[in-house]
Amino acid sequence: MKKSSRPFGKILMILAIVFFYLPILYMIIFSFNEGKSLTTFTGFSLRWYQHMLESRDMMSALYTTFTVAILATLISTVVGTIAAIGLSSSKKLVRDVVEQVNNFPIMNPDIVTAIGFMLLFITFKVERGYVTMLLAHIAFCIPYVMLSVMPKVRSLDPNLADAAMDLGATPWVALTKVIVPQITPGIFSGALIAFTMSVDDFIISYFVTGGGVKNLSIMVYTMSKRVNPSINAVSTLVVVIITVALVIINVVPAIAAKRPKKAEMGKRKIAIPCTIGAVVVAGIIAIFALKPEVNSDLPYSGQTLYIYLPGEYMGEEIVPLFEEQTGATVIVENFDSNEQAYIKVTNGESYDIIIPSDYMIQRLMEEGYLQKIDKSLITVWNELDEAVLSPAFDPDNEYSVSYFWGTVGIVYDKTKVSEEDLKEQGFGIFLNEKYKGDIYVYDSERDSFMMALKDLGYSMNTENEAELQEAYEWLVQCVTTMDPEIVTDEIIDNMAQGRKALGLCYSGDATYIMSENENMGFYMPEEGTNRWYDSMVIPTTAESYVLAHEFMNFVNSYDMAYANSDWVGYTSPNLAVKEDLSSEEEEGSYAGINAYIPRTDHPLDEVFVFNEEVKKLMGNLWSKVKIAASNAK
Amino acid sequence: MKKFSQLAVPYIIWAALMIVLPMLLILMYSFTEHGNSIISFAVTFDHYIKFFSDPDFLLVLWRSFTIAVKTTIICLLLGYPLAYFIARSAEKWQNILVLCITIPTWINMLVRTYAWIGLLSDGGLFAQILGFFGVEEVEILYTEFAVLLGMVYNFLPFMILQINTSLCKMDQNLLNASADLGATPFQTFWKVTFPLSLPGVINGITLVFLPAISAFFIPKLLGGGQYFLIGNLIENQFITVGEWNFGSAISMIMAAVMMLLMMLVKKLEVRNQGGKEDN
Repeated sequence: MKKSSRPFGKILMILAIVFFYLPILYMIIFSFNEGKSLTTFTGFSLRWYQHMLESRDMMSALYTTFTVAILATLISTVVGTIAAIGLSSSKKLVRDVVEQVNNFPIMNPDIVTAIGFMLLFITFKVERGYVTMLLAHIAFCIPYVMLSVMPKVRSLDPNLADAAMDLGATPWVALTKVIVPQITPGIFSGALIAFTMSVDDFIISYFVTGGGVKNLSIMVYTMSKRVNPSINAVSTLVVVIITVALVIINVVPAIAAKRPKKAEMGKRKIAIPCTIGAVVVAGIIAIFALKPEVNSDLPYSGQTLYIYLPGEYMGEEIVPLFEEQTGATVIVENFDSNEQAYIKVTNGESYDIIIPSDYMIQRLMEEGYLQKIDKSLITVWNELDEAVLSPAFDPDNEYSVSYFWGTVGIVYDKTKVSEEDLKEQGFGIFLNEKYKGDIYVYDSERDSFMMALKDLGYSMNTENEAELQEAYEWLVQCVTTMDPEIVTDEIIDNMAQGRKALGLCYSGDATYIMSENENMGFYMPEEGTNRWYDSMVIPTTAESYVLAHEFMNFVNSYDMAYANSDWVGYTSPNLAVKEDLSSEEEEGSYAGINAYIPRTDHPLDEVFVFNEEVKKLMGNLWSKVKIAASNAK
Repeated sequence: MKKFSQLAVPYIIWAALMIVLPMLLILMYSFTEHGNSIISFAVTFDHYIKFFSDPDFLLVLWRSFTIAVKTTIICLLLGYPLAYFIARSAEKWQNILVLCITIPTWINMLVRTYAWIGLLSDGGLFAQILGFFGVEEVEILYTEFAVLLGMVYNFLPFMILQINTSLCKMDQNLLNASADLGATPFQTFWKVTFPLSLPGVINGITLVFLPAISAFFIPKLLGGGQYFLIGNLIENQFITVGEWNFGSAISMIMAAVMMLLMMLVKKLEVRNQGGKEDN
């Protein structure tokens, strides 16, 4: 039966290969895209490769991913195999218990395992970073290895080892020469799964890492604000490395084949370690090739500045220029939500600067996680926009220096949406069935409730449960009758491509959308909206206090603030920068784009105030809204 | 083999520290009230009551379960023939095909999922192909289909590899013997090959079903926020709402449900093998 031609199998196999490789091919093609979009190809360019090679972050993420994966695979395979062999000869009770225990990491949602590890490391005050990530990876890989090895061990004749030893073999010899060769396929598939799990892991790494150590997943996830084709470039590099490794492997067996007997098993044996080895070597070379030179004459050389901010929220040249000027090393870590930042900061992770939003600053301040800034060290006060000075959460600017600011509004397609509807209905347009199926709702309880509360004529900071209930019903009506897509930063790319008529959007993102697509408009309802401030603060755990101030000045100085705002699209707190970037005469990138100039004179606009109870209530109601949306589908 | 039993000891200690202890911490959270850092030891069942008294939450659990079942069935139906094909190929091809299946999984899952967004989105490749055939205005992204596709894409390799492993270790002589004794190829498959490959099938199901039921990233990216599964609910409790205690309780409920299912599967496995493993 081996020789039958099996056309059905072949076709299925070919289809499967197409299925598996289509997205990868797509990814490779888009790594050469000229534009920022991941869906529309605008022209050939190598700019994302350049971006990738210049980004120390990306290269070190690549390095972390593969070194962790390789070490975790090797260690977990060895430990897992030994444990599996040991268990097979243990008492049944012990075996069953361990198997049950092993099922925990396999069965639990990754996030639970992740939280478990995090609680563990916090409880025992283990500093989170590379080592904790590696430990966690080993811990969740071993059960997979054992899952793969155990059936093989079980199917062995239990007398095999005894026979070997009766014939004079030492236990070690019996183990390595008799048992292990019998279960090799299981060990390899276990190692493969371990490697795969480790390379692919996101959420566990995300929770157990610290100190700026990140793997590719974390980088991609925190980049989601503006996913750009450079991640495709990194992935293409991974494909290339693997391909190179495979070519090497094909050469090795050819040599090994000259020695007859051993070749057969050798091929399988060599394949994986070789791939892994080649990847390590390539990774290490890449890292060393990019290691920056340290100039010791500069004032802060030898010092390190840890910055924690949202993904894709800083111009690319800022950090390298700052390092050049001060001699300090900057380590940037990204978060994807203020809540995420809160978890890390309150669990003792050390940073020198964090850039959260208004309400979160207030919360961190109230709970004593921030220290006052030394106002005398801040030299840029007089360059800042009056609108960002003395915000409600920090009226005397004792704790924060502004970074970006803006509003929330409606991005709309001028060709599809009538301005009268917007003016008449404000946020109520999200209930207008004329636009059914053509809207994006932002997947965040704060922003969605803001929209509903404002439309109902309430304060977005209401503590009144009846009003929140009403807002909840408003949102349920929206998701059940309007068939919206509830997304987050996907809005940016999709609206820039003009895929839907309406979307709730941050002004900075709207600025980018409008600069990409002139059919798009930005409207701030008369009902009032959210005005927000993202500011730099120094947590109590900071170690480079003075250097942090140095950075605050640097990033808000005219040239840097200009570059920063120009790159990100968010409004600069530096008044001159704001004016120049939006000025026709100066040919600013955002001239004529109303979203770039936040509204400051509207009495109904508000800034979020933190209230734990309300936040929890909103969070729970928002889950319910999404459940209602799933039910309506 | 009794000599080797002490080899398991280091791992038992490790497992106690790295698996049991974190689970105990979560269990403790699920029965206590308030606080991500300060723990008061007042035991409460509120979080469990909250979950079970709300039909919405139960519905989310049910929906997660059904989509995981669908994913698993599709993966099994596709994965078994593929694994079988690979196992029956020439040795040279076997290695190549196994690698072909494995390589995509080495490229970051998030990146691959983002690629699917591009392929499935409104102006994307699929829409264009469909448009070429005159089919317009079909929404693929943010539907259950997209979520299923994403899940199958990500988890199918695990199914194939597991089944393939158990098919490969099968003694070729058994098949020959069966054929010599007059069995048709189908009978041989159904009476010999399939039962012998069951451990692989069960492992495969485990490796597909479990991540599928708790997946939160795939539904979020391909299904949109309106595709809300139990994994999203847990993530939401921990990351956005900050109710770690409730989140822990849901996690515990899920773990319990999984345990039960796994025990059922184990029962099936033992019955199929005639309990011969009980040594």
